[in-house]
Amino acid sequence: MTDGRSLALWGQVAAHAAAHGQRPSVEDVCAVAVSSAQLGGGWVVAARGGDPDFVMCVTDPVSEQLAEVQLMLGEGPCHDVLASAGPVLASDLGDAESVRRWPAFTAAAGQLGAAAVFAFPLIVGAIRAGVLGLYRGAPGPLPGRQLGDLLILADAATVMLLGSAYGDAEDGDGVAVDGQAPDLALHRAEIDQATGMLTVQLGVPAAEAFARLRAYAYSQDRRLADVAGDIVARRLRLGRNPGQDGGP
Amino acid sequence: MDTDLLSDTFVELADTMVADFDVIDFLHLLTDRSIRLLAASAAGVMLADPRGELRVAAASSEEAGLLELFQLQNDQGPCLECFRTGRPVTASDLAGMAPRWPRFAQAAARAGFATVEALPMRLRDQVIGALNLFRTEPGPFEAADLRIAQALADVATIGLLHERNVRRRDTVAEQLQAALNSRVVIEQAKGKLAERLSIDMDRAFSMLRDYARAANLRLTDVARDFVDGASPDFPPPVRRQPGR
Repeated sequence: MTDGRSLALWGQVAAHAAAHGQRPSVEDVCAVAVSSAQLGGGWVVAARGGDPDFVMCVTDPVSEQLAEVQLMLGEGPCHDVLASAGPVLASDLGDAESVRRWPAFTAAAGQLGAAAVFAFPLIVGAIRAGVLGLYRGAPGPLPGRQLGDLLILADAATVMLLGSAYGDAEDGDGVAVDGQAPDLALHRAEIDQATGMLTVQLGVPAAEAFARLRAYAYSQDRRLADVAGDIVARRLRLGRNPGQDGGP
Repeated sequence: MDTDLLSDTFVELADTMVADFDVIDFLHLLTDRSIRLLAASAAGVMLADPRGELRVAAASSEEAGLLELFQLQNDQGPCLECFRTGRPVTASDLAGMAPRWPRFAQAAARAGFATVEALPMRLRDQVIGALNLFRTEPGPFEAADLRIAQALADVATIGLLHERNVRRRDTVAEQLQAALNSRVVIEQAKGKLAERLSIDMDRAFSMLRDYARAANLRLTDVARDFVDGASPDFPPPVRRQPGR
């Protein structure tokens, strides 16, 4: 049901990158998120050790300040999403619930002209890559279709962050996004099970195991879900070095 | 009908405001009890992702054929129809299923099921997912049993969404996404444990759940700590306190 929508969104990301003569990056995802959901701006914060850590990209000066002020205060929707592992949709920062939850952040956001903040965790299960934050100058909820689009874009940003963190160290652009939509059949149990299995086979953290799984599927020109299925069925093992991958 | 088990189940499903509430453990309780109370062979819960996808949140068995039956229903099947219409959908024999959902009927036959029932999980006007019941024998479930199944699904929906906190549609989306991510954490932990001990996914799940229960910990926390931890051993070795 989602394939058409994710391909359409990916087309927008690729077009945005091409217009700047670059390969798609989280900056392009961020820009498409802002335009597709008609928001004021957005930012991506990378996480290390489970907490938001440093600002990767921003679309405008207000977003930059919204991102920085949360890091400085240690408070705000971007902190909460990594703890709850679900999005935080603060559609009215002036309401009592938001003010009670983030007293310092809501005051700062108000001065910056942000009336609504939507934060999406960039996570795959236990793997925490970062946070996608977005703001709007006017309060109000996100329509359902926009929420779905932003979740799809958050998946793409997650894959890109994890790919750039681990893939480049290995063989240049094995996991880097390759002009195709990131395989958004992410939500299949076998992919998550295979990631867990690879942490043991490869002796690496889950984020790296996930990146290696994607890199292998890409290098073999196979669907991620199919490769994961082979690993779960124990028809395929990956070696500690990428050259050693093969049968059981 | 085991009425003691039935009343215990309602009490347990209503008891979600506890500190160690775990959404995946909770939905497994729903699938386990549905089987025992309703003469079903298998059961599962699918939740709607705002991306427009139905995702498996809990299944009574990790058997691949059953999981495939759920995944397939993003294209066709009683669960998808139930989700779209918000009404229960019954298919009580394979011959009846085949014209409506040919691929689903084939997969059901391969997995050995003849009867399928999908019951909506609704919060007011919003359908958040469906409870699926499967049976190996053909013929519909008893009407009285289905009323009970729907009541279990209703109580579970309220428990799942912590009704007292849910005032806005936004909060439903936030909690559903968190629940779906919990399922991902558990799949990752199952994979790690299955690889470490050379066991199957079903057994890995039981070990994680049994350990969480015995230690009085939330299943998702146990799974996350295991996936996050550097050690491949389970239960994870007790960390030495620094300075001792």
